[in-house]
Amino acid sequence: MESAGHQPVLIIVLLLISAFIAPLLYRRWRFLSGAVVLAALTGSFITALLLLSKSGASSSLSYHLGNWPPPWGIELIIDPLRVYMLLVVTGVSLWIFIYALGDLKHELHNDVIGWYYSLYAVLVASMSAITLTNDLFNLFVLMEICAITACAIITIKDQRECLEAGFKYLIMSAMGTGCFLLGVAMIYMVTGYLNYSFIQSELSLALTDYPLNIFTAAALFIVAFGTKAALFPLHVWLPDAHAAAPSPSSAMLSGLVIKIYAFALFMIFYRVFPRSLLDTIPLNEIILWLGAMGVMFGSIYAMLQTDLKKMLAYSSISQIAFIFMGIGLDQPLALTGGLYHIMVHAFTKSTLFMSAGAIIYSTGVRRISDLGGIGKVLPLPLFAFTIGSASMIGLPGTGGLISKWYLALGTLETGRILFLLVILASSLLNAIYYMPIVINAFMSGEEFKEKVKIVPLSMQVTLAAGMILVVISGIFSRQVIIFFEQALTSLY
Amino acid sequence: MEIISRLTENYFYLVAVILFVIGMHTMLTHSNMIKKVIAMNIMDSSVFLLFVAIGYRHGAQAPIIREGVDIVYANPLPGALIVTGIVVAVSVTAYALSIIVKIQRSYETVDCDEICELRSED
Repeated sequence: MESAGHQPVLIIVLLLISAFIAPLLYRRWRFLSGAVVLAALTGSFITALLLLSKSGASSSLSYHLGNWPPPWGIELIIDPLRVYMLLVVTGVSLWIFIYALGDLKHELHNDVIGWYYSLYAVLVASMSAITLTNDLFNLFVLMEICAITACAIITIKDQRECLEAGFKYLIMSAMGTGCFLLGVAMIYMVTGYLNYSFIQSELSLALTDYPLNIFTAAALFIVAFGTKAALFPLHVWLPDAHAAAPSPSSAMLSGLVIKIYAFALFMIFYRVFPRSLLDTIPLNEIILWLGAMGVMFGSIYAMLQTDLKKMLAYSSISQIAFIFMGIGLDQPLALTGGLYHIMVHAFTKSTLFMSAGAIIYSTGVRRISDLGGIGKVLPLPLFAFTIGSASMIGLPGTGGLISKWYLALGTLETGRILFLLVILASSLLNAIYYMPIVINAFMSGEEFKEKVKIVPLSMQVTLAAGMILVVISGIFSRQVIIFFEQALTSLY
Repeated sequence: MEIISRLTENYFYLVAVILFVIGMHTMLTHSNMIKKVIAMNIMDSSVFLLFVAIGYRHGAQAPIIREGVDIVYANPLPGALIVTGIVVAVSVTAYALSIIVKIQRSYETVDCDEICELRSED
């Protein structure tokens, strides 16, 4: 492995510095405060692009924090899958931040917007670090930072629903991190390492001597990441938290934060656990069944909702379960689908939450039944909503088709027809609850009566960009799929 | 019988796990928010205890190494890690308590069940 320069850590440092300056600047020059965070997000996105061109599709680079070599020091690894996730995190958060610049004035008190910028930058920094880190204890610390900041961008809106939802989220994530740290202790007990690569080579030996420790750790990891990523029976905190939050936070939480934990679980499965462990106990099978149940129940709950944002939140539970199904099928095609779904869902669900946010911004309407005829007064947000819905259902020309296509190919390849039916049924269910909104908005005869405010330019631009991203991910997917094929060969 | 002798040998792990279960159970079942936060701390502390206990070696000294003196010393790494863990737990606790203060101001109760009733009336 060659050295990576200081670029990996630069991403994190840039964001942390901007998080420190933003609230200070906000006291005097309000305009500059947002610009600093915007610049840091742009800088980290460009750095991630540079890392992509450096590492390519097959090689990997390693960075030693503070020049302490592993296993003693913390190691950051830049390999193709991590760079992909890093690009999704920095790119999508930059896009959502531009939307937040327009929307926040309406959602929050004027005094706390500077703090919001700061929390946002720390959240992105912690998520980027989670994708890069190669050290279990470092992962624990980053997960706690991510949990606190993710809760804080909910509770910063000083309404009592937000406070309660944020508290529930915090308690559930505290349980998750507690389980995770216990699992790390079990692993450390038998291997004596915290670095992923060292553990992986050590665990295959330890598996014969101390199987119980390792099985317990695996179970604890599934509970920990399942709670944090809202895997089916552990999803109870998600609907309230994502629905009550300010719209940019909802887009961020549903679009990125839950996926980062799904990705971390993926990394633990394939970079920490040796192949022999995955073959000994049916870890993937457990994830697969939980994922399949999540896909169905998430869609069914979503159909019952009357609040627009709550419906989107339940739909997130079913969509995150697709990513877990990709991990559960344990097969290159299905993993391609699952990983591609991380990006597609980040684009799609963020677009949907943004258009919901634009509707609430300009009309104040949240109930699904009150949206009749709204398409005539707010064409752009509702058009973005339509494109997003199409991608959720998996219509051709949108990214949703590609990821579901590869997942379906994966189920056929492994001969699990039942799960193919689950994927198809969920597409149908998605159509049942998304399409009536679209049809009602554009084609119902009734006039929309509420007063309508004009949507700010930054929100319109990001909504338009969202539509374009969803369509691009559906049409130009070839490059990314080839990239995955090369990257995933290292796992099998 | 073997399992009992193993448990008595490693009783500190057993204590940590019992504490963990007490903490987790209280956190998920009690409706009082302050109790939830206290339980969260019990749970975290139990993991810290277990982690530190991994570094224990029978009859070992503190890991201060001098030239020429050969000693058996305890593993210092878990201790170093747990100091970080404690800092993280403190900040989560502070944040949770600050949310509870705000919840108390707007709902005038810190009981989850009562808050649920208040919300269903809305």
